[in-house]
Amino acid sequence: MRPEARIESHHFVAMGTNCSVFALGLTPRQLLEGEFWVRRVADRLTRFAENSELSRLNAGAGEWVEISPELEGSLRCALRAFAMSSGLVNAAVLPSMVAIGYAHSRADGPSVTTLDSVRPLPRLPKVLQVRSGLARVEPGCGIDLGGVAKGWMADRLCETLGPNVVANIGGDLRAVGPGPGGVGWPVGVGGTTLMLRNHGAATSSVRRRKWGDMHHLIDPRTGLPAKTGLEEVSVVAANGFEAEVVAKAALLLGPDLAPAYCAAHAQAWWLDGKNVD
Amino acid sequence: MRTLVLKAATTVLTLGATAASALFVTSHLKNPAAPLQPPVLSAGAGSTASSLGGSLTVGPSVQASNQEPITSTYAS
Repeated sequence: MRPEARIESHHFVAMGTNCSVFALGLTPRQLLEGEFWVRRVADRLTRFAENSELSRLNAGAGEWVEISPELEGSLRCALRAFAMSSGLVNAAVLPSMVAIGYAHSRADGPSVTTLDSVRPLPRLPKVLQVRSGLARVEPGCGIDLGGVAKGWMADRLCETLGPNVVANIGGDLRAVGPGPGGVGWPVGVGGTTLMLRNHGAATSSVRRRKWGDMHHLIDPRTGLPAKTGLEEVSVVAANGFEAEVVAKAALLLGPDLAPAYCAAHAQAWWLDGKNVD
Repeated sequence: MRTLVLKAATTVLTLGATAASALFVTSHLKNPAAPLQPPVLSAGAGSTASSLGGSLTVGPSVQASNQEPITSTYAS
């Protein structure tokens, strides 16, 4: 094991959550540029601002809308997440989010619930089409990228910053390179330190963004907040995007199926909730 | 005559190879020493521990450590 090199770190708040970047061989200015990149992309992808790119797409009423490469990349990753999870991770979740009282940022408190309007989610590829520089959303449908964007952003940020970096975007992270001691980056997962080297890690939970009987993790089969017996799942996978998708899918599958699902798709996993051995 | 012998030999060879293959396959359903088993098969070999009330399973491609973590995955 070689001597540990000095880690440069940078912490900031974006998208209503804590973000951190750790790197070897980079300057503070380069990490600050990483923060600016996160903020620029977050401004495009948020559904909480009426003039964001995503909000304009959702308001497009079925028309093709011009989109930036960042929004196109995240929409394509949402379609990939749908395919990877057999429909369990479905970004066409916006109508359900609004119906359960999550119409605007949690900092502004819950909005009015209208559960009578809740339906199972439509298949994402039926309501979202993406071409080069263009996208369209079916009228009456809406896209929320909150369930897939953070892991994807962590992956993109690491690609931008270099070969020996950890990017943590609200708990969904990517670690690349050998880290300070040459055996990976020490990252906490489920109360244990794991050495991650070219891995991603993410947590999905129903314990945060919660109000009354409601929480933000929607089960696409009902359109309502998931009640599977699992309350929190953390996963280590090949990258941040895959970790986020696998963690959500496992939580939605529940305690009986999640262990086998994680064994097939993850490299380490932490399950917490009722009936977890 | 020669043709008949060749046909018989071919038949015997085929049946013999089939029988030998069947015996070999049924006695080698899974090689536990195979290096590239899918993760789902090797999951039993991963270490599972309870922490913070949950259950953590670490597969062979990830190494646990007693170092202080620089950051953590968490729900946000």
